Amino acid sequence: MKLQTKLTLFNAISKLVIVVLFVLLLPSLIQNINHTYTDNRLRKQQNKLLQIVKSQGIGTYMQNDESYGSYLPLKEEYISLDVVAPNYFLDTIKNEKRLVEHDTIEYRILSHTFKTGQKNYLLEIGKSVNTLGETSTALQNIALEILLGMIFLTILADLVYSNYILNPLGLIIKTKLIGNKFPNFGTYEKVKTSTSDFQYLDQSIHQMIEAIENAFHKEREFISNASHELMTPISILQSKIENMFNRDDITDEVKVRMLEMQKILNRLKNITKTLLLISQIENEQFLKDDHIKAKELLQEVYDEISIRLEQKNITIDISVPDGIELININKFLLFNLFFNLINNAIKYNRESGEIKIDGFMKDNNLIIQIADTGIGIADDQLPYIFNRFKKLRQSLQQESYGLGLPIVKSIADFHHITITVTSQLEKGSVFTLVFPVSVLN
Amino acid sequence: MNILIIEDERSLARELEIFLAGANYVCEICYNGKTASQKIAINLYDFILIDLGLPDYEGLDLLKEAKKNNPDAACIILTARAEVYDRIKGLDLGADDYLAKPFSMLELQSRMQAITRRKFGLKHTIITLGEFSVDLDNRTIAHNGTTISTITKKEYDLVAYLILHKNRTLTRPQLSEHIWGSIINDDCDSNYIDVHIKNIRKKLNTYAPADWLETVRGLGYKIKLN
Repeated sequence: MKLQTKLTLFNAISKLVIVVLFVLLLPSLIQNINHTYTDNRLRKQQNKLLQIVKSQGIGTYMQNDESYGSYLPLKEEYISLDVVAPNYFLDTIKNEKRLVEHDTIEYRILSHTFKTGQKNYLLEIGKSVNTLGETSTALQNIALEILLGMIFLTILADLVYSNYILNPLGLIIKTKLIGNKFPNFGTYEKVKTSTSDFQYLDQSIHQMIEAIENAFHKEREFISNASHELMTPISILQSKIENMFNRDDITDEVKVRMLEMQKILNRLKNITKTLLLISQIENEQFLKDDHIKAKELLQEVYDEISIRLEQKNITIDISVPDGIELININKFLLFNLFFNLINNAIKYNRESGEIKIDGFMKDNNLIIQIADTGIGIADDQLPYIFNRFKKLRQSLQQESYGLGLPIVKSIADFHHITITVTSQLEKGSVFTLVFPVSVLN
Repeated sequence: MNILIIEDERSLARELEIFLAGANYVCEICYNGKTASQKIAINLYDFILIDLGLPDYEGLDLLKEAKKNNPDAACIILTARAEVYDRIKGLDLGADDYLAKPFSMLELQSRMQAITRRKFGLKHTIITLGEFSVDLDNRTIAHNGTTISTITKKEYDLVAYLILHKNRTLTRPQLSEHIWGSIINDDCDSNYIDVHIKNIRKKLNTYAPADWLETVRGLGYKIKLN
């Protein structure tokens, strides 16, 4: 569940619980308030009555000590005055039932005794409890409706606000983690947020990326430096062997052994050159300002490689449309990309096999497929074929050192060409290159 | 021809000298940029080989000085720093060629010859091999005056390389490097040269025996020429 949904859901549920509690408690609350209010009113009425008695005398209400009583037509209120025993004392407010003209009605009754003209009187003022209780159910309903409406509004507000406040999180994930194409991290752009937690997260991720980037650069630098440093000694050895070949005092038997040395030195040289080339590509030290027709480039590769086809009696069928021109590319690199792919298609092919190269446009992209009828690659090995020094397929006659496909991959990445492989053991492999619009004219 | 070799790796400079002297060049060696700068200011050379990775001198500055004081000299840059940037910069400053270390000295000689042909205008060179003649300017092989059109560019390159290094056995790795040197390639097999040689022989033999193209058993190939 999304963080935003969780937060909103929790907010809604907690508010709902509080509101329900409040609505349930509402009657007793209202009763409480009503009591206080009624009691106040009763007291005020009592004071008023006492004042009247004081200023005008008890005669206003009573003659000859007869009981006085008065109530409203619907009996919701009444007042009564009685003479009581001189030492009787009462001053309370409580709920009591009274029989008034055959109806038993519960009243809130103020009882108060007072003396005037040597006599003790009892004053009772009653207010019907029903009139008090009636309103609370209606109030409860209204309160519930209003509060539910408010909850709905706050949920909406919560949604909008949490969406706004969580936005930087999504942005951080999208731009810093998913959007970052390894190893090209680009520049650090602060994600705009006033939330310190997100600022902290953003900074931490940035620091982590910097650490990775540093390690990566160090590795690249190391490969680059190591390759350079190896070039000079290899160069010296190569020159020495070359000069020795030309000496008359060295027998042919020794020269054959020197040839072995030369071959091994060549291998060392090729590995170093290839590693250096990969590091140069990865460090973007190549320009991309060449242009060439796709067909022409493949023809050039064919011219270089045809001798190898001949040796294995392999037929090749290149069908690429005439008009397609590649722009913003490095010709040297793309040549090497195709050379290595086709070379592999030859190397891992069977005697008298076939190679088919198809080029076509699809959704504005140029797709070039190179299919062979070779030994194929096992499914469990497919994910590793672009790793350096991974020799997966046992070539039948030739030696290789497992850098052909890594260089293909580096060149493809450099040009933003995607490369995918499908393969069937003993049937052959298909390498599919998808050229982006940016390299097409 | 006079050559100035500017290379701080003494061992490599020495091998270059042995090789180029064997090819009848007159060599002078400088192990550092300072003496090289002095020599360039005083003497005149036909070729100046400049190592870019000198500890005491910016190699490209030497190139500028060479262009100023030895305007007729052909400058070839040798470097282990094969960065494209340097490559472009070097050629812009007027270097005539560029070789990335490690390079074959046979290749160096081939480049020097190409420059000589271009720059110093060698007179039309036709090499006669038995009944065949090789035109080094038009890059063709002819039999009794008729150009053999079936010979491909690669096949001509191989013959021309063997002629340049005549009477010297060239091994398969050496020939491969010349033919496919610029291709970054995953395998170290150089037997494709055999296929090329076989094809050349087949094409030539339909006209006349091409026995001047010798196989040196276990080593490679050579063209005998006096």
